[in-house]
Amino acid sequence: MKEYSQDLSSLMDNELGDKEVINTILDDAVLQKQFSRYQLIGDVLRDESNGLDLRMDITDSVMAAIANEKQDDYVAPLAAAPEPEKSNVVPFMKRFGQYAIAASVAGVVVVSSLMVNQGSSTDPSVAPVLNTVPFGGAAAPVSLQATPLQSENEIKERNERVEALLKDHQLQLQTQP
Amino acid sequence: MKHRLFLVACMSLLSLLASSQLIASPEVAQPEVKIETKQALPSALTYLNNMKQAYRELNYKLLYLNTAQNQIEPKQLIHGVVDGKSIAYFYFLNGAMRESLQFDGKISFYQQGSQAYSLATNRDQSVFANIANFDFENGNKSYEYIILGRDRIAGKKAIAIRMISKDQYRYSYIVWLDLESYLPLRLDIINQLNQILEQTMVVSLNITETVNPWIQQLSVQATPDVLHLPLTAIAAVPKWHLEWLPPSFKIVKDDQHKLMMHDTDPVSYIMLNDGIVRVSVYISTKQTKLTEQKNTIRRGGTLIYTKQDENVEINVIGEIPLITAEKIAASIKPSK
Repeated sequence: MKEYSQDLSSLMDNELGDKEVINTILDDAVLQKQFSRYQLIGDVLRDESNGLDLRMDITDSVMAAIANEKQDDYVAPLAAAPEPEKSNVVPFMKRFGQYAIAASVAGVVVVSSLMVNQGSSTDPSVAPVLNTVPFGGAAAPVSLQATPLQSENEIKERNERVEALLKDHQLQLQTQP
Repeated sequence: MKHRLFLVACMSLLSLLASSQLIASPEVAQPEVKIETKQALPSALTYLNNMKQAYRELNYKLLYLNTAQNQIEPKQLIHGVVDGKSIAYFYFLNGAMRESLQFDGKISFYQQGSQAYSLATNRDQSVFANIANFDFENGNKSYEYIILGRDRIAGKKAIAIRMISKDQYRYSYIVWLDLESYLPLRLDIINQLNQILEQTMVVSLNITETVNPWIQQLSVQATPDVLHLPLTAIAAVPKWHLEWLPPSFKIVKDDQHKLMMHDTDPVSYIMLNDGIVRVSVYISTKQTKLTEQKNTIRRGGTLIYTKQDENVEINVIGEIPLITAEKIAASIKPSK
């Protein structure tokens, strides 16, 4: 053990070239503790300890605690949630927000498209594309192409109008006698 | 040795005979087979009626994709029959949870982050319902049914049937049916130029003898309250009528109501239906001025056509070609 003290200090100074010695140190818990102590001493001597010089090695105790932990204390996450629970969905709302209804019936979201300048070069014969899907479809954004003459505000109003119409259309489809 | 040779000769003769018989047999049998297939081969109409029955009566689970304008949306439908009544559970596979359950004259909507609610409806709202519940016998006035051939969809042998519109006022369809169950596996909406406007394609089909336990369970659970859409027979709203209807379309709704979210904005509303497609016509006072008097927005098969005249705005929404929307809008006249 004693003969390794010199090697340890060489190791600390990055001057140890002998692999075999390093491996011996790595295998020897006592030497490792000694190495750790030397490091601590070195830090204190160099005044690099920042006041907290008691660097206790708690790895072992933590590892031991984990090893002793009972296996069934761990709750494995469910791979996938089961089918959604619906029994509790028995709502009773006195005042239904009309907005909410329409929004989820249609599943349509109008993203006000600020395509004021982009519209100028488009072929007028090409119908603007509406990216919306009726219920039974996704809540995809609606983009309404506009001619350059329209102001942003007008486009926004127009989008809202189209959205309202689409939602109403969906609602009417659902309740068709 | 001689015996052996003789045997070999015999054997070869026998095998020759056998093989000639083998070669001959299909030729002999073929006419019979032909007659048989002619008798057994169902017409397109039979297939379509089989689909109608299967879609209503079987217990199945479909995973499918909706494609329109390069957007693909995966969805699921579970259908079953509980106490002789159809039950359909539908939900989006991607994004926020959005589900609906249709059973016993009601359809309930559940969506992440909003209040669940029900609407009263007796019409099947599920994915292939519009096609699968079509009255194909009477529908031959508007469509011609043609078997296109066999195909393979979702790993199943399928038959493709084309429903060609007899006029320019509606789209055509191609529907693929599973040859075993007759359930629809794919539906393309096609315009006059044979372009696919919208496509619904099943990727997984699972048919069971018994009702899916999940929807069986749902069928006995309480549903959210039924909402009744407020009708506003406002005297102040002028009445309108259509002077032209596309062939075989009928008016199924004609009322005045307020648009959701737009409390101050009553509209005159007319709904047209030809058995597959439903078209909404809105007539209202002009809200926002368009730079052009006419405006067309399209998404997949769905068209929103807007026309403004002086102080009146007409909106036509539905899965119809532009020409139909234009003609409908042009035929709107005030009622006296």
